[in-house]
Amino acid sequence: MTNSHSPIAEMSIRAATPLALLISAYLLFAGHNNPGGGFAAGLVLGAVVTLRTLAGLQEPTYATALLVSGVLIVIVVAIAPLLWGDPLLDMAVISIRAPILGTIKSGSALPFDVGVTAIVVGLIVALLDGLSDPETSDPAGRGNLERNS
Amino acid sequence: MLLSLFAIHGLGIVCSALAGRRSMKSGLIAAAVAPAITATWAAISLSRGDSPAIFEFAWVSDLDLVFRFRSDGLALLMALLVAGIGALVFYYATGYFKADAPGGNRFPATLLAFSVSMLGLVLADSIWTFFIFWEFTSITSFLLVGHKHEDAKVRMAARRALLITGSGGLVLLAGLVVLAQELGTTNLSELSPVSGTAASVAAVLILIGAATKSAQVPFHVWLPGAMAAPTPVSAYLHSATMVKAGVLLVAVVGPAFAEIEAWKVAGLLFGITSMIWGAVGALRHRDAKLILAWGTVSQLGLLLTLLSFGSAKATYAAVAMLFAHALFKATLFLIVGEIDIRTGTRDVSELGGLAAKMPIAFISATAAGLSMMGAPPLVGFMTKEAAIEAALGLSGLDQAVGVTAITVGSVLTVAYTVRFLMTVFGPGPDIAVLPRRAAMTIPAAVLGASGFAGFVFVDAVSSIVGNAAVELNTEANVYKLIPWPGLTLAFIVSLAILTIGGLFGAVLSRRTTAAPPRSVGADLADVAIDGVLAGAPRFISRVQHGSLPAYLATMGFAASSAAVPFVWAMSLDHLTLWDSPIQAVLAAGIVATAVAGAFVESRLGAALTLGAIGIGVSGLFVIQGAPDLVLTQLLVETVIVVGFVLGLGQLARRFPPVSEAWKAVRIVVSLVGGLAVMVGLVASASKPAGEAPIESLTIAAVEEGGGKNVVNVILTDLRALDTLGEVVVLATVAIGILALARVRKTESMV
Repeated sequence: MTNSHSPIAEMSIRAATPLALLISAYLLFAGHNNPGGGFAAGLVLGAVVTLRTLAGLQEPTYATALLVSGVLIVIVVAIAPLLWGDPLLDMAVISIRAPILGTIKSGSALPFDVGVTAIVVGLIVALLDGLSDPETSDPAGRGNLERNS
Repeated sequence: MLLSLFAIHGLGIVCSALAGRRSMKSGLIAAAVAPAITATWAAISLSRGDSPAIFEFAWVSDLDLVFRFRSDGLALLMALLVAGIGALVFYYATGYFKADAPGGNRFPATLLAFSVSMLGLVLADSIWTFFIFWEFTSITSFLLVGHKHEDAKVRMAARRALLITGSGGLVLLAGLVVLAQELGTTNLSELSPVSGTAASVAAVLILIGAATKSAQVPFHVWLPGAMAAPTPVSAYLHSATMVKAGVLLVAVVGPAFAEIEAWKVAGLLFGITSMIWGAVGALRHRDAKLILAWGTVSQLGLLLTLLSFGSAKATYAAVAMLFAHALFKATLFLIVGEIDIRTGTRDVSELGGLAAKMPIAFISATAAGLSMMGAPPLVGFMTKEAAIEAALGLSGLDQAVGVTAITVGSVLTVAYTVRFLMTVFGPGPDIAVLPRRAAMTIPAAVLGASGFAGFVFVDAVSSIVGNAAVELNTEANVYKLIPWPGLTLAFIVSLAILTIGGLFGAVLSRRTTAAPPRSVGADLADVAIDGVLAGAPRFISRVQHGSLPAYLATMGFAASSAAVPFVWAMSLDHLTLWDSPIQAVLAAGIVATAVAGAFVESRLGAALTLGAIGIGVSGLFVIQGAPDLVLTQLLVETVIVVGFVLGLGQLARRFPPVSEAWKAVRIVVSLVGGLAVMVGLVASASKPAGEAPIESLTIAAVEEGGGKNVVNVILTDLRALDTLGEVVVLATVAIGILALARVRKTESMV
């Protein structure tokens, strides 16, 4: 994206990416009992995408796919309880005893958070796509925009 | 029963649209079924004297928004006219249009849609039901007037009709809202007299709405233009049914305004002016259809005049006239359509000698014309007698005004009718006439003969009209239509009217009228409409100027002004300086950064100061012990700053210079915005609502949400609906950004 590449920035962003992804995943799962949650996880992921875009490591793509899947997940989680006669957005809680990990307690709030994450990342990717310089970006385009049109 | 009528019509609309794809004729035949059934039902109900059927469907019952229909005597009479004339008009149209005429897939279905709208209007028993169907008739009328939409003049006429009746509809809505407030009910059959200023305002507003629909001067200008519609439409909508809606409205809500002087005075003004000016217009025009249209304006004026007097006898006469007018005016329109098709012209100066060439049409037209003049032995005679009797029965000034107006109006009516009949059917140029089409002749003959039948079966007509009038005025049931009154004063007046008017009309018909003047009113209406259309882009370009900073300033100022009411809610009683001195340090840092940010000249510097402020605020959250907020705030700031870096890469390093005035505006807006937030915060802190519900929320979070992070459980479970709404907003914003980006990319590629 940027015209002058800084090898230091590029290397450190490359190195930080897996770490940031891990943090993002942690925030997503930790949200129920500790600080975190879908929104925070999405922001961390978004920050990773932004930095990588800035360093020219990737293009801001798949915004539409992220947004659509996020909205779909959220709406399905919202409506699904109606099928069982529960009120809208009633969240189920399930506990699983897994070996090694012990008791895992989770519920339908988790997919809801995943949907939120997808929407937040989608928004950030869309912003990056909108901000990216049309002159320097590839006119043939791998971006979602060109694919849609 | 009432609901099934609407179902039949709905089915009919679908069927006629489908059948109309094959040909205009099959569409029209399919469309005729529903009105025929309805007319039969109405006739049977009337003859049996059924007690009113009621259908009610509550939509929002708390707001009294209900669909309510009631088939009382008046509604049944109107339904009989609407559906009966409707069925005949559909049959007539099969002759009027060529079998393969274009528009078969839409014309019959639209005309039937109008028919059911009108049926809903006459059966409506709730103010809102009435209004909804009133608007439906305006819209379907627009579509029908604009049937030949390839013609620019037709489009203009349709637009004028829609905008005048549509604006009238808005005025009417305002009036109905006030009336419903005053009455405390929306039920049209439970009206009680209202009085006071608000009621007077409602009365005038409703009257204006009615005047636009019923083409009363000065709102009549749309009606002659609407004659651009195919003749079946003119006969049905613009003489027999839709234009009666205004009069019907005046009749129905009249009892509520019985004590209001403005209602009567304004009604008389509209009515008498229209009665005279409409008749004068009918005398000035040469197009047979326009003569009839102006005659309709005049006749509706007479109806409005009678209703405005409000006496039981005048109400009875008005209902009788309304019935008679629908019959004879529809007949005449149908015959003009037949003449138009068979001779190729409607100009009375080119027509003549049709008595011998179109004998059946001649007989029907004469019967209808005599009925319109008020000559015996026809139903129009009895109703005109009733009107004169009613005027004579008034007292004082009312009597003088009523008798004079009705006499003058009737003389002119006789004159234009005689002129119409003599110029069309009397001696004149020898013109070629196409062969007769049964589908056009029969409906006109049936309607024409009904005027005579009404005279013969006077008792039946009399009781039907009486049952209808009694819905409007409980004292109206003592009156009767009298076929042969003997030498009463009213009869003498009638004879005088016929003689003078007849002579006048005969003289006028010998003269060739110069080409009629252009309608100044219609031109004015068009100029006004064009003016609005031309002014709209200029107005829009002022408001939507395209300057983003100016939009932001406007929105910021508008949003800030929402804080004004909170100024009075502020109190310093509960405010403390700080919870911990570190807050003061942080706050000082934030304020200093903000001030510095205002003076930074480089864009990147400004973005960084914003980030610094955000991080400072998250420091405040740390002190308050809100780790979730801190986390989110920090992440948001990070993403924003990185995003800024990305976006600023394409902009100049420094802010562009701005003019001093604009700078001042921006400073003011910023200060107002800052003050607004401060006011809002102080006001919300001024009224502590007791202890925060931490305890109950924590328990709820663990028990219902199964999580220990209260904030997050609130977001994903307890108040998940809010979150759902928020993320949908986020997604919408993102889609907007993508769309904008797409536009820009397309532009940059070109």
